[in-house]
Amino acid sequence: MNQPEPIAIALTLNGRVLRASVAPQMLLADLLRDQWGLTGTKIGCDQATCGACTVLVDGAPMAACATFAWQADGAAVTTIEGLAAGSALDPVQEAFKARSAFQCGYCTPGMILSAKALLARNPAPDRAAIRDWLSANVCRCTGYQMIVEAVEDAARRLREGGR
Amino acid sequence: MNAIGNPAPRVDADLKVTGAARYTVDLALPRMLHAKVLRSSHAHARVAHVDARRAAAMPGVAAVVTRDDLGGLNANYGYFIKDQPIVAIDKVRYIGDMVAAVAAETEEQAVRALEAIDVRYEPLATVATIEQALAPAAPALFETPPPGIVPAYGTGASGFKDPAKNVCYRFCYTHGDAAAFARADRVFTDEFRFSRMQHYHLEPFVTLARVEAGQIELWSSCQNPFPLRKELARVFNHPEQNIRVHVPFVGAGYGAKNNCKTEPIAVLLAKLSGRPVRFCMTMEENFLTQSQHAAILRLETGVTSDGRFVARRSEILLDAGAYSDASPLVAEKAGYRINGPYRWEFIDSRCDCVMTNTTPAGPFRGFGGTQASWASESQIDMIARRLGIDPVALRKKNLLKLGEAYVPGESGMDSDLAEGLDLVCREIGYGRGERTKGRGIGIAIGFKDSGGVNKPAEAQVKATTTGGIIVNSGTIEIGQGIQTALTRVVAELFACPSARVSYGPIDTDVTPFDQGTNASSAIVVMGQAVERAARDCIARILDFAASQLNCRPGDLRLENWAVVKDNQAHPLAPMIMRHFGGTGFEFVGRGYFKPETDHHAPLEAKCVSWEIGWGAAEVDVDEETGRVVVRKLVVSGDAGRAIHKDACRGQDEGAAMMGLGQALFETMRYDGPVLANIAAARYRVPLASDLPESFRAVTQEQGHGPGPFGAKGMGEAGMLPVAAAIANAIEDAVGARVASLPLSPEKVLAAIEAKRAKT
Repeated sequence: MNQPEPIAIALTLNGRVLRASVAPQMLLADLLRDQWGLTGTKIGCDQATCGACTVLVDGAPMAACATFAWQADGAAVTTIEGLAAGSALDPVQEAFKARSAFQCGYCTPGMILSAKALLARNPAPDRAAIRDWLSANVCRCTGYQMIVEAVEDAARRLREGGR
Repeated sequence: MNAIGNPAPRVDADLKVTGAARYTVDLALPRMLHAKVLRSSHAHARVAHVDARRAAAMPGVAAVVTRDDLGGLNANYGYFIKDQPIVAIDKVRYIGDMVAAVAAETEEQAVRALEAIDVRYEPLATVATIEQALAPAAPALFETPPPGIVPAYGTGASGFKDPAKNVCYRFCYTHGDAAAFARADRVFTDEFRFSRMQHYHLEPFVTLARVEAGQIELWSSCQNPFPLRKELARVFNHPEQNIRVHVPFVGAGYGAKNNCKTEPIAVLLAKLSGRPVRFCMTMEENFLTQSQHAAILRLETGVTSDGRFVARRSEILLDAGAYSDASPLVAEKAGYRINGPYRWEFIDSRCDCVMTNTTPAGPFRGFGGTQASWASESQIDMIARRLGIDPVALRKKNLLKLGEAYVPGESGMDSDLAEGLDLVCREIGYGRGERTKGRGIGIAIGFKDSGGVNKPAEAQVKATTTGGIIVNSGTIEIGQGIQTALTRVVAELFACPSARVSYGPIDTDVTPFDQGTNASSAIVVMGQAVERAARDCIARILDFAASQLNCRPGDLRLENWAVVKDNQAHPLAPMIMRHFGGTGFEFVGRGYFKPETDHHAPLEAKCVSWEIGWGAAEVDVDEETGRVVVRKLVVSGDAGRAIHKDACRGQDEGAAMMGLGQALFETMRYDGPVLANIAAARYRVPLASDLPESFRAVTQEQGHGPGPFGAKGMGEAGMLPVAAAIANAIEDAVGARVASLPLSPEKVLAAIEAKRAKT
């Protein structure tokens, strides 16, 4: 069996341009986690259902477990590691922290990035809109209510001059 | 109070919101191999032939395990009954049973190699349900009973191994005189069915293991590293001191991550290959590894016509799946808790673990209490309606009072049950407002003991020269917030900012013993050990300071890393360095807690605490479609004293939503022995869109808990009442009773139609 040719890609990962040579079947999640050691992106169901592996590709929430690495060629990819500016948390992270909107923390990176994408599209979502949007992400621990409240809080923080 | 009740963020917040928190799934070692397992496609079959020679020669393959590689091992593991083999030996007993394992350079190579393993099965008749397994002509899962033990019980309780074909364990509890039934005016017999959920923890079962120079070392997503170490020592005939288990953050478990899961195969492959091995299951494999217990519960309950509970006989059948796992313990708890927090003259409970050719069932949040509360709280409502008594009034008439023993020889209630009942009634608007067609309210009181069975815990608290404090405890941070709770307890006792206190990593070589992070035991069992360790450490510090200040320790108190004497603060750091030298010192305190062994207590020790989940639901039922919409859901637990209110609220809300899924739709659907909805996309769990329009969790702080500062455990309570509260609300709404979970539109509609046919 011939090994398929690797594909050269370049992407902007958390603000830095990175190049890689990837096998055609390599998943974005594996590139991030195994090759680049960014383990904040979590794999839960591995079937693009649970949302734990959510990353932002050109601002859109994508399941890294179901996205080929080459699909990110030329794109700007944001992972949970790219949200904080040094020790200053992103307002969404601040809100999740302040509101204890996490328990085991395994869904949290995906949840935060998903919320980030929502707030970029709708800076003042109502509860129904938040519930609807976050239904792409499973949290088995919290029962969601405190996450919904954190996203409302994050929206306020962003409107009041966060990033 | 500076730390207890302080709303400052949890100690794990920064790590978890930045993605820096490390879980077992994130770990790697140089030269690490990847393991995959071959699983049985037969539900029940004799394994006639296994040949892995071709697989062993495949590219990238470093080690293969089949039944031929188990020489010198005690190849079967289990809690009380050692019946589950590392890989299949003579038979496979469910679809997904592990038959062989491969370690290769990549997961892909491991998967390819599995395809090259030649297995021949001789299929046997299968039993997929409790009824099938108990049928006289049913095939036996085990032709000869596997070895095991029955734990010691006290007054009224007993256990039996293999009491009948396909029944691996039976728990019985009785007190009082059966003649009490004669004093009942009415006796009601009802049957309830409980469907099983999958835990659906997002971090899969995963272990990274290495075996070097006689040392077995593993990192595992595990709730009970010390019992795991002991079991691995037995399985591998390996000295316990040469087995070291690390547990980083755990991506939840809800009970699933107790005892052996990925560990034996990872260790065995590491041993055979001489290289580190990572064995990470997929979510589908989680579904084939562990589940909740489905159950059939038959209750025969005698009451007086004015609503006094007199006597109850219970027969509970748990679907244990193909291996015993924790089933004997779950049976004990279901059988013990079935009567709820009420007064009875006579109780006779029996709970059997029935083996079927399905995924092994094990611990699941609520641990038998969920099944018991579902049936008992449903029946109490049914009885109230039959007697024409208000369901809340009926409960109140029979509730145990604060301090009243659960049963003879047992500890007393450490929550005021009526107080919690009033609270949820108020929150849901019970008995108030106009009745709307198709709308109803239901109440339930979930009940369980908490703190585990006769559970010991050890803890250590160290204080450094400059007043840094480190808590070493074997309780795992699995999401519940235990690092926050225990460090705040210590900060409170040391009268220092909680940022001064850190929580040490879990490493069985150095962390003091803990039996496991389960049974809502951490704050009431480990919490007491940690409190004692902190007090021991403080006593040593005050002894030292007293010797330096020429006074008695009783003249001193500790505050912000100084000792205060006659209102004058003496900083400790310079005092320590003057005595011990500039390199400093560490004061170490130890603490131990275990409930006393007590043969009069049914479970050999009085229960440490009682965990109550009060629940109330308001539903709309569409009588044309049977669809149920939960409009309002109120749950309440009693934290005794909330060390971190948000963390407590999160426990209740998370548990309640799990209960909502259990009530309405979540279930492992079996088509015969085939699990039909095995994939994440086909198994429905609650999502944010399932949140009821109004959803409230109220954390009570009644102050009677045995834990530090009056705290109680509360991780499971919120789950317990939800299904019964919703079923009770459905009956209140449309007069139809559904006694089988989940409360699907089909079942609700059938109940409505059955009721119409009768009237």
